[in-house]
Amino acid sequence: MGFIKGIINAVTDPKIFFVLAVVGLFVVLWKREKIASNVFGYGVLGALLAFFVFGTFDPNFRLIVTKPDNVPIVGLIFLLVFFIWYSIREAVFNDRRIDAGQGPIEKDESDRVWVWPDLVYTELISLILCSVVLIVWSILLKAPLEQPANPANTPNPSKAPWYFLGLQEMLVYFDPWLAGVVLPGLIIAGLIAIPYIDKNPKGNGYFTFKERKAEISIFLFGFAVLWVSLIVLGTFLRGPNWNFFGPFEFWDIHKLEALTNVNLSEYVWVRLLRTGMPSFWLIRDLPGILLVLFYVFALPVILSKNLFRRYYEKLGPPRYYVSVFLFLSMMSLPLKMLSRWLFNLKYVVNIGEYFFNI
Amino acid sequence: MAEKKGVGHAYNIDFLNVVFAASSIFLLLSTVWMVCDDYDRDWKNTQRRFARLQYDVTRAQYRQARDKVDRPKLQQLQAQLKSAEQNVKANQSKVDGLQKKLDEIEIRLDRANRDYQYMKATYDHDRYDFESARAAGVQGTAKKGENVADEAKQLKDLDLNVQKITAERNAAQNDLAQYTGAVGTIQKQLEDLRAEQLRLRKVAEAQAPSATKDYFLNAPLLDFLAPTIKINQLILPDVVDDVNFKTVPKMDRCTTCHLGIDKAGFEKYPQPFTTHPNLDAYLGSKSPHPIDRIGCTVCHDGMGQSVSFKDASHTPTGEKQKETWEKKYGWEEPHEWDYPMLPTKMTDASCQKCHKQEIYIPKAEALNVAYSTYERAGCYACHKTRGFDTTTMRKPGPILTKIESKLTKDWVKTWVRNPRAVKQTTWMPRIWYNSNSSSPQDAVRNEVEINAAVNYLFANSEKWEPPISNPKPGDAKSGEKIVKSIGCQGCHVVGEGSREQAGPHRTFGQPLENIGTKTTYEWVFNWVRDPKHYNPNTYMPNLRLTDAQAADVATYLMTLKAAGGDQAKATYTQKDVDDTLLDYYTALMPAASAKATVAKLDDNQKQLDLVRRSSIGTAVSAATRSRGSRRRSRSGRICLKRAASLSRGSTSASSQTSRTRRSSAGSIASCTTRASSTKAACCSHSTSCGCRISICQTSKWSDC
Repeated sequence: MGFIKGIINAVTDPKIFFVLAVVGLFVVLWKREKIASNVFGYGVLGALLAFFVFGTFDPNFRLIVTKPDNVPIVGLIFLLVFFIWYSIREAVFNDRRIDAGQGPIEKDESDRVWVWPDLVYTELISLILCSVVLIVWSILLKAPLEQPANPANTPNPSKAPWYFLGLQEMLVYFDPWLAGVVLPGLIIAGLIAIPYIDKNPKGNGYFTFKERKAEISIFLFGFAVLWVSLIVLGTFLRGPNWNFFGPFEFWDIHKLEALTNVNLSEYVWVRLLRTGMPSFWLIRDLPGILLVLFYVFALPVILSKNLFRRYYEKLGPPRYYVSVFLFLSMMSLPLKMLSRWLFNLKYVVNIGEYFFNI
Repeated sequence: MAEKKGVGHAYNIDFLNVVFAASSIFLLLSTVWMVCDDYDRDWKNTQRRFARLQYDVTRAQYRQARDKVDRPKLQQLQAQLKSAEQNVKANQSKVDGLQKKLDEIEIRLDRANRDYQYMKATYDHDRYDFESARAAGVQGTAKKGENVADEAKQLKDLDLNVQKITAERNAAQNDLAQYTGAVGTIQKQLEDLRAEQLRLRKVAEAQAPSATKDYFLNAPLLDFLAPTIKINQLILPDVVDDVNFKTVPKMDRCTTCHLGIDKAGFEKYPQPFTTHPNLDAYLGSKSPHPIDRIGCTVCHDGMGQSVSFKDASHTPTGEKQKETWEKKYGWEEPHEWDYPMLPTKMTDASCQKCHKQEIYIPKAEALNVAYSTYERAGCYACHKTRGFDTTTMRKPGPILTKIESKLTKDWVKTWVRNPRAVKQTTWMPRIWYNSNSSSPQDAVRNEVEINAAVNYLFANSEKWEPPISNPKPGDAKSGEKIVKSIGCQGCHVVGEGSREQAGPHRTFGQPLENIGTKTTYEWVFNWVRDPKHYNPNTYMPNLRLTDAQAADVATYLMTLKAAGGDQAKATYTQKDVDDTLLDYYTALMPAASAKATVAKLDDNQKQLDLVRRSSIGTAVSAATRSRGSRRRSRSGRICLKRAASLSRGSTSASSQTSRTRRSSAGSIASCTTRASSTKAACCSHSTSCGCRISICQTSKWSDC
């Protein structure tokens, strides 16, 4: 028992957890034919249920998972897994039909249905079921009314609401300006921009994967891996002082982690060139600045010539550059995380004089 | 869902019907569950229990009142009533006739009254009409005026009529009352006799359980009308709870469950229904703390706004009650409210919230004992406390300025090492050899510091000339008689036992069971003869003894000897002294400078500097100021010997009772080199810590 818990505690470490999430998404999309089966669906559900049931016997696990604030995230895990499985399954079925020459299933269904009963009756039933869920939830999980707020007593950990936990996790790797303002802004701007940069007319009103491979993969990566898995990480696996704690680990406020992160400028000047750090910020951070400029300005152009050539041709320069910029911004997060884990990299650009770090 | 579909339908309706039915049943069940969950509250059941209890108590009181009624008098009155009624019955026809006459007169009176009133209304209207017209100067109002005059006359006649008939009626009533009046008065007397019993019966009827009350008035959704089970709260608008960012008027809902708290009659019943003790002083309407002005949490703390046992921050009185509550109510340490309820025996602490200016609060015995214990133990001398002004209050410990003339170094070392081992009931705390400083390594350092502290005290001691040196001894037996009769035992005792046995009031003067081993006959004699000569600030009075009496008393006291106290638990060398001193210095300066500073001191200086940490080079020697009595030079020699033996690195451990004289073997010269007669500015203690000596209470160190 303890052995299994130890393994799970080790596996949920952010480094492994995140890499597993990325690899997992890739495998899910690659082996989607197998995943689309009912057996697999029930198997995953069973595995999740077994994990939670097994975990409930551990007091640490129970404390985290049954906290009224965290119960919805447990629901989120189940719902997300279900909907991804379901949509991939439908996509696989539709792809098979499209390959066989038939249209997708949705085409066969009549394009008009009766308001009553098909729309309104189902709405009524949904209303009733929602009410039942809300009533039962409110009886079983009380809203946490804690003691009067005490300015002399800061809670540890101080966690953001669940919808910002992904951003709070980003704060570990990025400067607050980027993690809290720039990247969230780009997320919103990117979501708004999707209709304008997505020129793929296929997949409109029916499930498919084959016809929208890139779009679905990018979106699932950004949503399921970068957004939701970081929320799950922040809810269950981050404890006092924002240290990592496995699901069966006791939240010890005195746990210490060695923080030995190094800026890029230090890597270049001190470790590589063995000179002191230049005092003038421009010189000091020149390597980082050049790297960032390369990443933002040069890399899109380079990519347009080889890896993304088809997209460049399909979308045209304006759409392409917007898309690639958004894509590279999104990828900066996993790249930064990897650099942190592999090289202990702290900041690529570190200009403390003007409070600007990347 | 994609298989069995009707034409133009997206779903299978039969299946949807089943889903609809099932979900509706779930909705019904969950709604019923929700209503039950909302309406099932602990306090409601408590109130139901109390309603039954109150009914039973009222019924018992009713039976008691009924039994207390004066039986003979009751029977007498009932007999009188019977005879009066018989009288009426005997003259029934006359009574009936009179009654009929009265009724008829009443009818006539009624009519006459009505006539009069209508006439009056008409007259008033006409008169106003006439007078206003006349005032307005309208012509032809004379007729109106005549009409009004006529009406006035009629009115007067009618009034007379009414009065006449009223007189008739009164006469008729009097006639009737001759027969029936007696019955009325006797009935009233009966009621007065049984007043309490009848009142209680009414109350019991009101409190009786009924179907309406239990099932209708308090039913879910109907209980907005007139519930009998509701939350009771007392709001004190000018007394507030501090919830960190706001102050909120106190809202005490304790009486929701504590329903009997202000009602006499529930003293014997278990909580939460028990009556508050001493209703005349607390909560009664005539008491100085009526419940609607003071509430509950002002005295008891706790979360008044809560209506559940756990949230209210009830505190158990002890381990046993804690275990009972944990089992019965699932009680756990409250951590959601910053002001948990005070345990019942500590409720006195709240008295000072309002009774701030009073030093002695009548009826708050625990608090008064607490105040006096605090003062006697001298807590305020180290811990700054509001209300205890250290600039005007004397320090709680005895003076140490003349310590050399009273005590020996050995005794002081033994004392300081563990005061309670010498005197069980002393207030003085133990500074060394505490639970976290008793390991063998700590023992060495403890001994270094104890010795250094004692040496410092003696090095800075003033000279004291006793008024009578070398007094002659007296008779111990008469001394004992004097001690036990003149009043010494008002403050002093011999052999008090433990602190708990002695209590806070008893140990005002120090216990004297080992005074004989502590000091000399000369000192005790001079002290008893005139305490203020040694310590001008002492509480001990001058008992105006003759010298012979003083000698007797002192001789008796010197027979009270008792060994006690802890021996030194380690020996140390000069290197230990150096290390300890270095330890203090390295907290102030880099290691190299610290070593250099320490190296510049000689051994004796190191001793004193260990305590003082003053600038190098100034030293005080009490011995070198000596120019007087043999006693002082004796102590000076001891000081020298002590210092000499230390500098030779030999042991300092010794018995505490005797002032042993070891033959000195040199190093006297080194001691006399510190013969500067200037006193060290002993208050060059830096306030950065390290030296625990700074909390000693010599008056010289009052600037620390």
